[in-house]
Amino acid sequence: MVTRDTILDVLRTIDDPEMPISIVDLGIVEDVRIAEADADPAEQVEIDILPTFIGCPALPMIEQDITQKVGLLDGVESVRVRFVFDPPWSVDRITPQGRKSLEEIGVTVPERAESPELVQINLPVACPFCKATNTRVTSPYGPTRCRMIYYCDACKNSFEHMKRV
Amino acid sequence: MQTLPDELKTPLAVLLLSIADDKLMLGHRGSDWTGLAPILEEDIAFSAISQEEIAHASALYEMVGAMQGQRADAVAFGRPPEAYRCAELVTVSDEFDWARALVRQFFCDHFDILRFDRLSRSAYAPLAALAGRIHAEEATHIEHADLWMVQIGRGGDESQQRMQAALDLLSPLAGMLFEATNGIDALEQSKVYPVGDADLFDGWLADVQRVAADAGLTLNVARPAPDAVGGRRGRHHDGFTAVLDEMCEVYRIEPEAAW
Repeated sequence: MVTRDTILDVLRTIDDPEMPISIVDLGIVEDVRIAEADADPAEQVEIDILPTFIGCPALPMIEQDITQKVGLLDGVESVRVRFVFDPPWSVDRITPQGRKSLEEIGVTVPERAESPELVQINLPVACPFCKATNTRVTSPYGPTRCRMIYYCDACKNSFEHMKRV
Repeated sequence: MQTLPDELKTPLAVLLLSIADDKLMLGHRGSDWTGLAPILEEDIAFSAISQEEIAHASALYEMVGAMQGQRADAVAFGRPPEAYRCAELVTVSDEFDWARALVRQFFCDHFDILRFDRLSRSAYAPLAALAGRIHAEEATHIEHADLWMVQIGRGGDESQQRMQAALDLLSPLAGMLFEATNGIDALEQSKVYPVGDADLFDGWLADVQRVAADAGLTLNVARPAPDAVGGRRGRHHDGFTAVLDEMCEVYRIEPEAAW
């Protein structure tokens, strides 16, 4: 029989298409529900995903990965992915393991919010390579909607920083 | 409330269409600049913002479509011109004048942040959740728009003149952003679209005037007359059908196509 845990194990193997971080560590998996199908031992699975940004173009790929991989589990009859906005996703949902995987490729994540303001940019950020804090924003819009581009004046490297959203 | 009372469905659909139509047109016009914006970083930024406008519109069309039993694509592209509820400001061409594109975006961003602040406190829970998320993204748009207004406004004589010319050209259209949609009173009374502490128009005018002053520019916008009828009630300018035809060209070839 399929359990929530076996499904979560599968979701942990699915990476965000644009970053080496699993969708579970990214904090976008909000809920996994299993309903037994009528007159059939196979199960119907429904998974709620929180988009990072509403217009994130990776969403259809994430949906496809989930329905394919979870659909391969024994006893799963159908998989449905719902994109929901309640609660809103925030960088605070990224797990410590997720922060580590991002930092390894030079993407930093803001510390947990102390203020209720969702959006804060232009705060000091430590360089993921040399840890210096004399860094600056070179562009608030980066390769994806959730990241912006920084430059480290100490080690002269560019890096990316997740938006405090 | 988790479900919407029947009598509020039409007023809410019209309000959401007015917002989504603004965003669809604005994103459509903004995307004209992809590959053409003044510098590379801005090309990425303006394209991302335009993409986001269309994504917000899409989420709102989904909600309207769910109320009316239609696909979001059909709601977005399948209506006759008089069924669109966008304001004239978002439908006129900027004629590839960067100052006009910025001023148009600046006016709309400051309006959106205020209306999504109200909607994020909606008594209709699914709308409040979506609006809260859009509101957070709008804050990044404001930051972008204000920065450009001030940078170019203070840049030099020519850049200031061109920004002022764009403000003077588009200000007469900006007031009609605030034309009320039909049935708005019922939405306000039921707190589906709760009224804020300050009047929406006054709040918006104070915001855009503060930024304009910081940029060394002057800005005056008149509140629309109560009996003025425009895009919010389906009366569009002569060129609107051509804009719509261009935007819907691909959809009309194969309305049921899957993407």
